[in-house]
Parts: sequence; structure tokens; C-alpha cells
Amino acid sequence: MSLASSAAPLPRRTGLFDLLRPGARAAFMILAVSAVLLLFLAPIIILVVTSLRPGWGVYYIHRGTEFTLANYVEVFQRGVVIEAFFNSFLVATAATILSLGVTVTSGYMLSRFKGWLPKTWFTSIYVFRTVPYISWVLPLYVVNESLGLYDTFFGILAAHVAVHVCFFSWIMKGFFDGIDPSMEYAAMIDGCTRWGAFRRVALPAAGPAIAALGILSWLWTWNEFLFALILTGNRTPLLTVTMAQFVTELGTEWNLMSAMAVMAMIPAVIITLFAQKYVIQGLRI
Amino acid sequence: MPTVAGDRQTASRGAIPAARRRRRLIGERLSFQIGLILPSVLVLLLFQVVPIFIGTDASFRRWSLYDPDKTWVGLEHYRYVLSDTNFLFTVLPNTFLLIVASVGLSLALGMAVALLLHRGFAAQRLVQTVVLLPLMIGPVIASTMMRWTFNDQFGVVNAFLGWLGLGQPAWLADRWYAFGVIVFTDVWIWTPWFALLLLAGLKSLPKEPFEAAALDAAGRWRIFTHITVPMLRPVIGVCVVIRAIDCFRTFDQVWLLTGGGPARSTEVFSIYVFMEAFQNLNFARGSAAAVIGTLIIMVAGLALYALINRFMEVSR
Repeated sequence: MSLASSAAPLPRRTGLFDLLRPGARAAFMILAVSAVLLLFLAPIIILVVTSLRPGWGVYYIHRGTEFTLANYVEVFQRGVVIEAFFNSFLVATAATILSLGVTVTSGYMLSRFKGWLPKTWFTSIYVFRTVPYISWVLPLYVVNESLGLYDTFFGILAAHVAVHVCFFSWIMKGFFDGIDPSMEYAAMIDGCTRWGAFRRVALPAAGPAIAALGILSWLWTWNEFLFALILTGNRTPLLTVTMAQFVTELGTEWNLMSAMAVMAMIPAVIITLFAQKYVIQGLRI
Repeated sequence: MPTVAGDRQTASRGAIPAARRRRRLIGERLSFQIGLILPSVLVLLLFQVVPIFIGTDASFRRWSLYDPDKTWVGLEHYRYVLSDTNFLFTVLPNTFLLIVASVGLSLALGMAVALLLHRGFAAQRLVQTVVLLPLMIGPVIASTMMRWTFNDQFGVVNAFLGWLGLGQPAWLADRWYAFGVIVFTDVWIWTPWFALLLLAGLKSLPKEPFEAAALDAAGRWRIFTHITVPMLRPVIGVCVVIRAIDCFRTFDQVWLLTGGGPARSTEVFSIYVFMEAFQNLNFARGSAAAVIGTLIIMVAGLALYALINRFMEVSR
């Protein structure tokens, strides 16, 4: 910056926004908000409308006024769909409980201790977090197949817990960093063991944050595709892969696929509407 | 810090635990640390480290049904992948282009949404809910709906373009249009993530610099470029690094939108590995490609990590 400009009194800078009259400013806000709403809602609305149109009316969905729930009925008449919903629910729930259980202590350790061990562990976590999923799921497929775990509940569950280890340890560290450790020291002075101080003092304090992460973890597992595609087949159908299979030789059955996608979206919508506060709390870095 | 409390605790318990502690090979403090991370370490070793070793080993062997001995072939598969023009001139450029385009656009758009939400207005809660949705419904449903929205014959986008009297491209049949749809979908999914994290960052900023700038009659754009962005730099930096590393492994969107097509022109790293392993049924070659990709992103990831450490210290 030149001397002259820094010495001279700053002129009033008027951007385009300030030039607008208050009414126009409000109009600008309304326009911006509508643009955001349109961008993020339009594809979802299109999907919902498609799922409500009869099979012959799916094309050019903006024409015609026929609406029906038959797609939902037809989707649920396929046994594999119910099975897929059930399996995905089971995998998401089990994977969430296990991943949280495994990583909560690891995050606590990273947060409370200093030294070579936490440092090494944190570096490993960072390094393994960068490894692309396909690079270890591809050989995991071979491992699972040779152990007879391919296309089983346990095989897919293990992959989900493993992928969460690094990321969750990292996030949990953040949760515990936000909790003052002095209460734990007080508990230890009063005769609590280290383990007791963790379980009785730190864990309850981190409870809400862990619950928030649990909600996100459940949704991520519910939505996961790559592991399901590689590690499962016909015996353990999962939601996302089953949905992608609505592409037949005759073309994609868009009405059925949309109906299933809308059903699969329900947990996400419920969580967004009613647990938004927790979700935002859990979305840390 | 915890040692003080720990020592006092053992002291208050009497001499026996102290004596037992002295005889131990590993200190009580260290064994507690090991105990805490043991479950995570075991899971990581069993389901990530071991598969990575097996995959790396496989990448040096001939891995097919006709060769039950799995003959050691050295660097043959690496030589193949690294001289594959498709990998070098399509897959890798696509992957990095996707990272740059997706991260750049979702950062810009996310910043705009965050600033909008930070202003506060009547329908703010509604907008925040809607903005959160793409992130929650996940890439599979998002890609499905985008593929339908951009359908060349019956999609809403082309219907709208036709109504405007514009051309109606076959979105998923042309390399760059298809790539554009992939980027758009990725931006659609990840803009909310940037928006929410940047909004949290904006909310945590101190008010004084903004008040001072307002007193000095600085314009909005000036405040944004000279105060908001520099103060948010750590948040922006961490977001960009995390997202860029994660973007390298993008699979779902590309697979569901184009399947890597038309004619393998929109393939990214993960799709290439998948195609080699499961479509061309060459597990060893797929593993070699996977190892190459892992090395690339590990080096890039560590460099970015070092960069961001410096970056954040400077800005503090």
C-alpha cells in the first residue's frame, strides 16, 4: 500500500449492495435465499414427484397430473427390498455402536496424554485416513472371500468399523479437548482410578457430542455404497446397492428407483428436521 | 498433569500398589494409554493394515485362475499401469480436475451460503434445514436424482432448456458435459459441509475488528477480503485439506452417474482400480494401481498437513 493512500482519510466505499435502496436490498436477499432453496430442494422435489407418478407417466414428469402410490407398493412387493432395508438398518446400528465403543477411548487417550505414544498414534491415524477406501477394500474382498466372510453380515460390519477408527478417534479427541480435565483430576484425588475417572467423569460429559457423532455415523453407514458393492452380494443385500440395481436391460425403472430412494431418504429427513442441533454439533473437524 | 493426580492416588492407597508398580515393566500410565487405544489399534491392524499388505503383495504377483502358484512378477503390473495412457492422461487428470473444481466451487458456494446464513433473516431456520439435506441424504441418492434430472430425453434440466429455446445436450454421453454433471453433483453434496463449518467459524470470530472496520467506513467487499477471510483462514485451510484428500477417493458419484463412461473418459482413480479388478478381472493390476494412488495421496496428504501447520501458525 502506498503512503498516500494510507495517510489520506479513507473514502466511504460503496459497493453495489450499499447503492441499492432498502427495498431493493430486501429483494436481493429474497432472491439469494430463493436461489439457495431452489438449488438444494429442486432435485429432491423432482425425485419425490417421480416416485409418485405412474410408470407410463414418469417421462416428462412436468406434464400430466396423474399421481399414484403404486410405485411404493410395487417396490415393497419385491422381497429383496425389505431384506435390504432390514440389513442396512442392522449394519448401520451395529456399526455405529461398535465404532463409537472402539474409538471413544482412543480419542480420550489422544486428548489427555502427551508423549511418543499419542504422537505416533495420531500420525498413524492421519496417514491411514488419507488411504483411499478402494485401496484396502479391494484386498479386504480377497481376505473376506478366503475366510468365508464375503457377502456376510460380519464382513461388511468389520469394514465399516475399520473405516471409522481413524476419523472418529480424531473427532473424539476434539470432543474431549473441549472438556476441562480438572474434574477428572479431582475424581482421581478422591480415590478414583484412571479408568474410573474416564468412565464416571469424562464419558458423561462427552455424552451429547458422542450421541451427535453416533447419529452421523448411522447415516453414513446407511448411505454407504462402495463397501456394499464390493463386499456383499445376493445373500446380504444392502439398500444402496439394491437401489442401484433398478437398472434393467430395458432401461432404468425410474419410478421404482425413485420410490426406493425416497424411502431410503426418510431417516435423513427425520434427522435433519428433528436432530439438526446434534448433527451440526457432530460435524466438526 | 495426570501423573500428579495418579501418583497421589497410589500414595493414598498405601505402599503395596506402589511396590507392585515399581516391579512392572511398563508404567501404569503407559499401560493405561495402551489399554485405551488397543481396540482401535487392533481393528485398524486387522482390517486395514493387513489388507493393505496383502494387496501390496498381490500387486507383485500374477493373480489369475490359470496360475495357482501366483508367480512373483516384480514390477510388471506397475509398468503396465504407469505406461497405460488411459491412467496417465485420463484418469489422473480427471481425478485432480475433480478435486480442484469440486473443492473450489463448493468452498466458494459454501462461503456464500455461510455469509447469507450469518446475516440472519426470517426464514433462516428453514434455509439451514434445506441446506443440511444434501449432506444427510448421501451421494448414492444424490447421484440417482441427478442422473434423472440430467436425463437427456426426459430430464427436467433439458425440458427447462428446451422451454428457454436453448440446446439440449446429451449430458451423460459427452465427456465434458458428463464431467460437469459429476462436478455439479459433488458440489451439491459438499457445499452444505463447507457452509456449516464456515458458519461455525464466522460465529466464533470476535466482533471488534468488524466494528472498527465499520467505523472506518470500509465497504462490504473490503471487510470480507481484508477481515473475514484472513480471520477464517485456519478454518478454510483445514476444510480444504480434508475435503481435497477425501475427494481423491470419490467413487459413488462417478460410478452411479456415468460408470466412468462414455468410453472410460470420466474415470477417476477409484473407478480405474475397480474396473481393473472387477471388470477386467485382474486383481493384481488393480492392486498395483491402488498402491500407486495410495502413495500419491499419502505424499500429497503429508505435504498438505505440513503446509497447513505452517499456514495456521503464521496466521495466528
